[in-house]
Amino acid sequence: MVTMNSDKSAGRRRMEESGNQTTAQGSGSQSSQGHGQGGGMGALRPPSVRVAMGFGGGVPSVAEAALAAAEAATPAAGHRPTLLQAKEDNPNAGVYKKMEAIIERMQDENTGVPVKTVKSLMAKIPSVFTGADLIQWTMKNLDIDDISEALHLGHLMASHGYLFPIDDHVLTVKNDNTFYRFQTPFFWPSNMWEPENTDYAVYLCKRTMQNKTRLELADYEAENLARLQKMFSRKWEFIFMQAEAQSKVDKRRDKLERKVLDSQERAFWDVHRPVPGCVNTTEINIKKICSNSTKLMTMPAATPAQLISRQIQMLKQRLDRRNIKLSKVAESYISYFEQYQEYDPFLTPTEVQNPWLSDSAEFWDYEKQVKDVSARRVKRWAFSLKELLADPAGREHFGKFLDKEFSGENLKFWEAVQAMKTLPQAEVADETKRMWEEFLGPDAGIPINVDGKSFEATKKNVEENPDRWAYDEAAAHVFHLMKTDSYSRYLRSDMYKDFLSGSKKKTSVKGIRSIVSFSGRKEAGAT
Amino acid sequence: MPPKDDPETAKLRKELEDLMNKIKDEQKKVADTTFADACASVADAPKVRMITRKNLKGHINKVNSVHYSGDNRHAVSGSLDGKLIIWDTWTGNKIQVIPLRSSWVMSVAFSPSGNFVACGGMDNMCTVYDVNNRDATGAAKITRELMGYEGFLSSCRFVDDNHLITGSGDMKITHWDLEKNAKIMDFEGHNGDVVSMSLAPDSNTYVTGSVDQSCKLWDTRSKDCKQVFFGHTADVNCVCFHPSGQAFGTGSEDKTARLYDLRSDQQVAQYAPPNGNSGFTSCALSSSGRFIMCGSDDNSVHIWDTLKVQHNGQLTGHENRITSISMSQNGMALCSASWDNNVRVWG
Repeated sequence: MVTMNSDKSAGRRRMEESGNQTTAQGSGSQSSQGHGQGGGMGALRPPSVRVAMGFGGGVPSVAEAALAAAEAATPAAGHRPTLLQAKEDNPNAGVYKKMEAIIERMQDENTGVPVKTVKSLMAKIPSVFTGADLIQWTMKNLDIDDISEALHLGHLMASHGYLFPIDDHVLTVKNDNTFYRFQTPFFWPSNMWEPENTDYAVYLCKRTMQNKTRLELADYEAENLARLQKMFSRKWEFIFMQAEAQSKVDKRRDKLERKVLDSQERAFWDVHRPVPGCVNTTEINIKKICSNSTKLMTMPAATPAQLISRQIQMLKQRLDRRNIKLSKVAESYISYFEQYQEYDPFLTPTEVQNPWLSDSAEFWDYEKQVKDVSARRVKRWAFSLKELLADPAGREHFGKFLDKEFSGENLKFWEAVQAMKTLPQAEVADETKRMWEEFLGPDAGIPINVDGKSFEATKKNVEENPDRWAYDEAAAHVFHLMKTDSYSRYLRSDMYKDFLSGSKKKTSVKGIRSIVSFSGRKEAGAT
Repeated sequence: MPPKDDPETAKLRKELEDLMNKIKDEQKKVADTTFADACASVADAPKVRMITRKNLKGHINKVNSVHYSGDNRHAVSGSLDGKLIIWDTWTGNKIQVIPLRSSWVMSVAFSPSGNFVACGGMDNMCTVYDVNNRDATGAAKITRELMGYEGFLSSCRFVDDNHLITGSGDMKITHWDLEKNAKIMDFEGHNGDVVSMSLAPDSNTYVTGSVDQSCKLWDTRSKDCKQVFFGHTADVNCVCFHPSGQAFGTGSEDKTARLYDLRSDQQVAQYAPPNGNSGFTSCALSSSGRFIMCGSDDNSVHIWDTLKVQHNGQLTGHENRITSISMSQNGMALCSASWDNNVRVWG
């Protein structure tokens, strides 16, 4: 009779192997960048397999070449090193530690759960224990009186894959004669496995090559395989080759050992790619785990005193601010809303049919066009100069007005400054020079009129630090000029009024008005 | 908090506390009324009637982020299956599928011009793709790989085609010049991961939200923080500027959404879900600022009337946590990305 001993030593051996493997792979990645980069695929095969594939021996084989090629094609898994470092910071680390302590006690040769090799009809079932034994042991050794409590504990450990039923994909524990087995430490979740889909594909592919009656794929696994095959269609050859190589190695193993290994590998995937309907215990909100780990790593960077004094500095500045009363603020939101509700598709139907409601693509063309502008759009120009300049049609019309007033250079200058902000960096310096000559210099082509203060500041900027913001001050001044002077004149001009009334004829505003009125302020009498 | 401070630290701490109280007093002085009272005279908003216009299927893993292009029509989504998909949200067609080097994408951004998309995540870098150019394999061409982060990339936004701002898990905010492929500046912006970022409508300022529970306002040209906003009691998962540029909405892990005002330097309204039980992962404001929408981990998008602080409704349909929402610039459609592998377009 084989007892747990042999199994445990096998487990230990695998651990050692895995240790060797990581060093072997480390040195390998130094010599060839390609392998190091693609840790995604190589990292997850059980170690014994990797030896066979020539990683340890250093003799390149066909399979390895194929693997390397496949790895090069795999998206680089740059996250893995950080995750491994983060092992301690994993939010589950504490839980894993506790469970592993219990597992160690369970596996004790003398006082642990009795592990046997059971003879059934034709074959031997190596190193298993029954659910009843496990529950009994738990109640006796872990100070638990309640059987459901013990079952729950067993279920939790099973759901993390520390022990597993030998012929069921659903990881749970029952208090009967079902057989269970311990997972090898190599596959413990505390090793921070983040297996890739490629690994899963190799595993499933391998399963199809093995003795079909015994290890047939479950329905959901077959589905996954089909999906993965579609997804990796171009790489499937490599995946198949890898699976073949692994399965060859497996065949050479002792029959009992193979049984144990197969079941352990299956349990590993049951944890990481659970049966539909089961909870995936290894899944964490990755945003959070990252934030937790970085917090721990970076917090001690500054002393508390420094941090606090920095904060004090900031708060002092803040006290100097003059703030506006909340009632005023609320008022401004209300007026903003009242002004813009006509343009909010949630509140007022759009004048061109909303493409989402009508299945017509007309809308997209309408936004871009400059002709045939509707009254609603023209009305919006009166809200602010910004709104006017944001609409291409409005900008054009305003430009025409300014030309009539002989102050078109203001808008041209402002447009040039805006354009400069999106220029390639290499051209910025030249452009600042050009603009200086065109708008501000002594013999400027189209001189603009700025006050002395912003002129001096701009001059200094252009000479000392010609970046894309060099003209901001001048532009702000010009904008202010346009806003206070030309813009208000524009709104009062016949040109704008004509344009507004001209556009009114084209679309009926009546319909829109009636819809809008519902959300205006309540009648004075009502409040 | 450490059990014992040296006298100097204790003194500083005391000073900090005093200052905090002073600021709170100041805020109270300014808060002469509550937001809901001030807006009582406004008529009730009609119920928002949005339904799923398109259910965009194509990702085969959780979708982590979605962002609208400036053309109000195209959107990009990034998923843990290692793909970016550019959608025509109106027809529901995939315009382009971009395979990524790393599948751990956490954030995507469309440039306002629609010429570039940027993405990044736990590969600790930000990759910029040119949508209009293809490489030898037919995928979108990588124009820039921005490296040097010590933490995962949690948010990125284009100021324009040449200028990108990112926030990352190493608490840093980084400005990039894409033309030069160089950092313009980087600095520690928060005491915790920067998780979210929103540009003001005029692109001159932006706000960031962080796991340190605060939000900060920055100028795109300098490293100095302009304003800090406290109030949330857990991670601020999302920030979103009000279209007026004077306020921003937030969605937080602490199961509230809030509206902060820049001029009064404080929180003006707080929106709680009706069941009090849904954390928020994302938020967006309607184009008139009347509605705030928040994607939640209870699988739905909640809508509030911002002015009257009333729950207006919720959009249900997703079958798992919503990770990100994005409102088109004209306020016509809303995109939501979810762990159920789908992106939905609401209108």
